[in-house]
Amino acid sequence: MSNRAELLDLAAGLFLLCAVAILWRRDVRAQTAWLSGQGIALAAIAAILGAQDARPDLYGVAAGVALLRAALLPTLVRRAIAARAEDRESAPLINVGASLLAAVALVLLAYTVAQPLVRLEDTPAARALPVGLSVVLIGLLILVTRRKALSQIVGFLLLDNGITAVAFLAAAGVPLLVEFGVSFDLLLAVLVLRVLTARMRNLFGGSDLDEMRELRD
Amino acid sequence: MSAPVLVSLAQVLLVLLGAPLLVGAMRRLRARMEGRTGGGVLQPWRDLLKLLRKAPLHPQGTGAAFRFAPLLGVACSGVAAAAIPLLSTRTGLGAGADLIAVVALLTLATAALALAGLDTATAFGGMGASREMTITALAEPAVLTAVCALAAKVGSTNLPAIVAATLSHGARPASPANLLAAVALAVVVLAETGRLPVDNPSTHLELTMVHEAMVLEYSGPDLAMVELGAAMRLTVLLGLWSALFAPWGITTTADPARLLLGLAAFAGKTLLLGCLIAAGEVFMAKVRLFRVPELLAGSFLLAVLAVSASFFLA
Amino acid sequence: MDLLLLLLPIAAPLLAALGYALAGWRRPTAHLGTAAAAVILGGAIALAVRVTRDAPLDALGGWLHADALSAFLLLVVGAVATLACAASPGYLAAEHAHGGGSGRRYGVLVQFFLAAMCLGALAGNLGVAWIAIEATTIVTAFLVGFGHTRAAVEAAWKYTVVCSVGIALALLGIVVLYDAARHAGLSEATALNPRVLTAHAGALDPAVTRMATAFMILGFGAKAGLAPLHAWLPDAHSQAPAPVSALMSGVLLAVAFVQILRVKQIADAALGPAFARTLLLITGLATLAVAALLLLAQRDYKRMLAYSSMEHMGLIAVAAAIGTRLALAALLLHIAGHGLAKTVAFTASGHLLRAEHTTRIDQVRALAIRRPALGGVLAAAILALLGLPPFSLFASELGIARAGFAAHLGVPVTAAFLLALLAFAALARHTAGMLLGDEDPGASGGATQPVAAARLGPAAWGPLVTGLVTVAALGVTAWPVTTLLGLAAQGGR
Repeated sequence: MSNRAELLDLAAGLFLLCAVAILWRRDVRAQTAWLSGQGIALAAIAAILGAQDARPDLYGVAAGVALLRAALLPTLVRRAIAARAEDRESAPLINVGASLLAAVALVLLAYTVAQPLVRLEDTPAARALPVGLSVVLIGLLILVTRRKALSQIVGFLLLDNGITAVAFLAAAGVPLLVEFGVSFDLLLAVLVLRVLTARMRNLFGGSDLDEMRELRD
Repeated sequence: MSAPVLVSLAQVLLVLLGAPLLVGAMRRLRARMEGRTGGGVLQPWRDLLKLLRKAPLHPQGTGAAFRFAPLLGVACSGVAAAAIPLLSTRTGLGAGADLIAVVALLTLATAALALAGLDTATAFGGMGASREMTITALAEPAVLTAVCALAAKVGSTNLPAIVAATLSHGARPASPANLLAAVALAVVVLAETGRLPVDNPSTHLELTMVHEAMVLEYSGPDLAMVELGAAMRLTVLLGLWSALFAPWGITTTADPARLLLGLAAFAGKTLLLGCLIAAGEVFMAKVRLFRVPELLAGSFLLAVLAVSASFFLA
Repeated sequence: MDLLLLLLPIAAPLLAALGYALAGWRRPTAHLGTAAAAVILGGAIALAVRVTRDAPLDALGGWLHADALSAFLLLVVGAVATLACAASPGYLAAEHAHGGGSGRRYGVLVQFFLAAMCLGALAGNLGVAWIAIEATTIVTAFLVGFGHTRAAVEAAWKYTVVCSVGIALALLGIVVLYDAARHAGLSEATALNPRVLTAHAGALDPAVTRMATAFMILGFGAKAGLAPLHAWLPDAHSQAPAPVSALMSGVLLAVAFVQILRVKQIADAALGPAFARTLLLITGLATLAVAALLLLAQRDYKRMLAYSSMEHMGLIAVAAAIGTRLALAALLLHIAGHGLAKTVAFTASGHLLRAEHTTRIDQVRALAIRRPALGGVLAAAILALLGLPPFSLFASELGIARAGFAAHLGVPVTAAFLLALLAFAALARHTAGMLLGDEDPGASGGATQPVAAARLGPAAWGPLVTGLVTVAALGVTAWPVTTLLGLAAQGGR
């Protein structure tokens, strides 16, 4: 096994580890720190692939990914945290222990689902693909089970990091234009969600989504 | 006596003598970081010797479980010390030096102590025992899964074989499977040795103590054995962790010069890990008991990830 | 020339947005948006003529593309947008009277919304289509939350989260498909081009394509209001300003659904029709079931209209599952008819809300006597949505049913129409109650407030009547678009 493959596996492992840590922690502030770490791991994946395929454009992509996902987006979320103690996930829909066990099942599911993709091309990168898919599923889990607005943003970012990782690992990234558009849309979506969180605080006095009870059938 | 048996004996002796020193160093570091002077590094040894001189005293109505648990604790840790390749992979237990066997031995010691706690029939003893068993029951799946991740790569659960295989590949310790298993086992080691954030070794507050509640009725030589067993357990687990994930310095021969080098490396690594734990404890609070399952579920998740990574990535 | 034709529908609303950003919402600029929408409609007609006469157009190296399907979709977008934008000044004037949100922001966002939808319709690349559809989520989030009330913020939050997640799953599908395409030997630039993909479908790995198709149908389905990611739809539609509800229900759902059609084309070529058909039948029937059941117990007339949109999208999904030429032509006609009728219904409901100050069905009674004109328009729009002749939805539903039986899908199609019948009954009962029901004696205290709060001028009636007449005309004869429909349905084959 070559050195680069080792590094790639390591970066993928760290990427997954950060997702687990985000699921584990209740404090949104700590979650954003791990989110930054995950962004760096993602950038590392892109850079390693760039070195492997001798594609200098991927270095640029890696720098962009690092800027956006390790610095900009986590900072945006962190800024949205008011200086109040309310931004701890106090009562998730299912408790953290159970969601960690659920994550175990999701990871196994991801490995099963990703088998056709791995079979398509047996490279170290393709073998690391289930990691990206696992992170997608863990992000979905956070989105579904956490009741704080900011936790949901974190879950959404996790989901998106996972998809980006799949894109890198599967085919060294989608076309650059699409990549750029996706990143831009993601940034805007997070901005929109941030504004909505602020409005929610004004109107509901908190960002607990259980407060949202006006619209239902 | 053959060389491997001598190596094992040396390891047992090393752990037996060194464990209280490690505890002493950790307490001293913690005291210094908290702005206290603290006792010297030799203080645990002094305490042990003092306790050993006292008359044995057993609470009324206790039986064999109470009496034998401390000795069993020391013995289990001792056998584990003989089995784990702390200095050299050529230990005297051969095929018996199995990772699962070592884990089972350490659990046996915990179970014996829990039985002893129940045997006293006091409220604290029972409470401590029930808490301890809860934690152990949660930690065990994580340990076995992590073991599976490590064993899968080598194709054997034999400890010397795993360590030797890791030593023969240069960069292997940095693989994702190892990394994840390392974090998982680190959490479990903290839980099994009763350190923060799972248990606070230096508290006697009713509501929070786990290990201390269980051994509250011990005194004199029995208490000395309990304390020694706990210290040896800590040393053995730290040694096991470092042998699995940072095996540098462990020799694959029984050559005395290399063994000395291994001794230095072992002492250095264990001391470093112990100091890291002690320093971390200064900044950490104990988690509430009902949050412990969360911590251990996380550890289990990491262990499962390690297994899947070792199957799918490598 | 081709480039200009393709860029015009996207550029016109962007320019109008610039205009609103600079000049704000005043009397002279109020109809700037309508003008931009009319340009879209004009451009769509020109495109439709070009496409029916010559071949499909390509521009910017395949990033933009117009075939009969996109030309037809753009026609619907243009028509609905023109009606909705024409109704906007009246809506905003009333909002201003109540001290509501900013006209400038409304103008800018609606025009961005139109531009994003046109881009979505004209995208020649799945990646670009994805960007356009995600962009609609972002710009409409603030339009949904325009009211700044608790309910509006709640709706906006759900809308953004559910749609972003859904569309993220679609992105995952696109990424996976791209992987398959690259391994089939396609170049980076063409690997997301639906036409190229369809042409090289045989080389795509079947298992991977199956996975990609499932993700994309689920993801774009979220934006098209299909189960299981439909939860945003009733909230967003009921909270958004009436013209925006009309645009979302009338065309946004359709633009998202057309992406599913394009995905289905690729999947059919690579996997045979069974896979996508099964998925679409399941999601379509599930959507119909959810919509019909929730319509029965509905107490809010804007939400009622929203669930009716879901019902129609479910029917459209079933039509897509059938997939024959007849089914696709009926599907497209249904999209057009539903878009126009829903625009009229939502706009009328906006007027009704302003006049009655409530969205509760049981508090709006005896409309036929108290407000005969508005009640009549609403009734006509709902009759159209129920699929009664002479409106075009009758023809398209009939077409879907016939196509379904011809394709030997009798059981699912029967199930679909039974569910649609349930929805029909619920919708008819609620509307009848609003129009003819006795005024609740308990609520007579509320009726003491002045009834004729708002007089509707000709500017307000114009879009309503035009919309209804167009739907009726399409029902009588689809003459102007027959060729286009045929071509589009063939392309979808």
